[in-house]
Amino acid sequence: MKIVEKSSKKQDMEFKPNIVCFCCNWCSYAGADLAGVSRFQYPASIRIIRVMCSGRVEPAFILKSFKDNIDGVLVTGCHIGDCHYISGNEFTKDRFERLTIILKFLGLEDRFRLEWISASEGKKFAELITTFTNQIKKLGPLNNI
Amino acid sequence: MVIKGKLREYLNNCYQCAMCSGICQMGRIQKYTPSRIIQLIIEGFEDRIVESGMLWDCLTCNSCLEKCPHEVNFAEIVRDARNKMLDAGIMPKIAHKGFYTLLSEIMSKENITPEKTFEWVPSGCKISEEGNILYFVGCAPLFNYEFDESMNNAVDTLKILCKIENEPIVLLKDEKCCGHDLLWQGKIEAFKKLAIHNIKAFERSGASLIVTSCAEGYRTLKIDYPSMFENFNVEVKHLVEYLYEKLKENKIKFKKEKKNTKILKLTYHDPCRLSRFLPKSFNIYEKIRYIFKELEKVGYVYNEMVHNKSNSLCCGVSCWLNCTDKAKALRYHRMLEAKDVADNLITTCPKCEIHFRCLQNDTETVQDINVIDLSNLLENVIEVIPSKQNK
Repeated sequence: MKIVEKSSKKQDMEFKPNIVCFCCNWCSYAGADLAGVSRFQYPASIRIIRVMCSGRVEPAFILKSFKDNIDGVLVTGCHIGDCHYISGNEFTKDRFERLTIILKFLGLEDRFRLEWISASEGKKFAELITTFTNQIKKLGPLNNI
Repeated sequence: MVIKGKLREYLNNCYQCAMCSGICQMGRIQKYTPSRIIQLIIEGFEDRIVESGMLWDCLTCNSCLEKCPHEVNFAEIVRDARNKMLDAGIMPKIAHKGFYTLLSEIMSKENITPEKTFEWVPSGCKISEEGNILYFVGCAPLFNYEFDESMNNAVDTLKILCKIENEPIVLLKDEKCCGHDLLWQGKIEAFKKLAIHNIKAFERSGASLIVTSCAEGYRTLKIDYPSMFENFNVEVKHLVEYLYEKLKENKIKFKKEKKNTKILKLTYHDPCRLSRFLPKSFNIYEKIRYIFKELEKVGYVYNEMVHNKSNSLCCGVSCWLNCTDKAKALRYHRMLEAKDVADNLITTCPKCEIHFRCLQNDTETVQDINVIDLSNLLENVIEVIPSKQNK
């Protein structure tokens, strides 16, 4: 899985983080769509990967992104109770709680976030991307901390 | 792919007796013939071997080297070829979606310094950052992500070490993975980065002895590190060796457990990394049998499995590769053998333990055998002889 190729930048240019965002098909992707349709402004730092459910996102995907020098990873899904597949997001929650322990050990826990976004929350999606991008900007690029 | 140097010598030594194909553990469940592969490489079809990806199937259990009359090290040829297979873009199927390999690879980056927490350290154990004796914990705290019982092994080993030694045991905070899995998956560059980091950390701690409770970690620290880095010459001991020496020096003895009136039947599974992967002079499989002999004096019963010592069967997975139904079949054979002779299966390799336990979840027929690590067994039994008595 080759996610995003990092464009070569000169050092004096401002740091533009590369963020991978996993969106579930039923809520978050529609939410991201709504953010676009309603013309909310948010940084162009994310690459959205659509998955059918947040439960599809393997912890290995997150690690693979970090291995390929992606600066931050977002996983978004439906709110608890709203999952199209009944309990997919509960599974996700449990899974990523375990992963956070490992990310803490590697010192990467600030670069990863799990959020719930419903189809009507376009505004929230835009805000999330803005705050998360700023957070990553503060942390700096992953490959030369 | 051009094979040079030592590996070429191995190839030239082969005289196609096909002993390796006969003994091959993979050959028990699918067609797998090391001698044919070597023959094809000699004939110049190296590229075809690489492209076919068949070398990912090798268990690297070293049974072939054990029987080979000319000591053709097939596992090393495989290791070298795997590196080339990665370059050619022929990827393996790694168990757990490559999670643990990815972890090691992230760790191999120079800018990532892991910080281990010591919440698991049992109360009463003194630990420090500098000292003489270092316990290399390895990946056990990371396995905790999926396997809840993986920490028991580390906790009990530390308890044993603290019981025997008077001084605090060194635990490294920024210890990285030893790199065994990366090495055997052909990711040699990442392995070297990990090794350099670890060697520096060992030097900083000033330890003169490294103790490990993991078979794979032991083989990597004992043989692969010194062969790649000449400046690494700290003594490395596996828990088995360590306890064996203490027993011989009369510093410890085993006591009788009063609670258990039932006689425990034990049997031991030799991990490949502690038997076939070490030079014969190491003799670890005799040392552990000495420990069992001592245990028999305090009321345990030790039985040998049909395949034992350097003939022992493989648990089916090494370095997280190919954990398929075929590997399960191998494991099933092994567990049935163990079931015939005992009700406790002892091993010294955390990964063998994990894989045996995993099989027990699916298969009812092997559920009644208890898979435990050596440290779990010995933690309650060891008693330190006070040094005054010795004088």
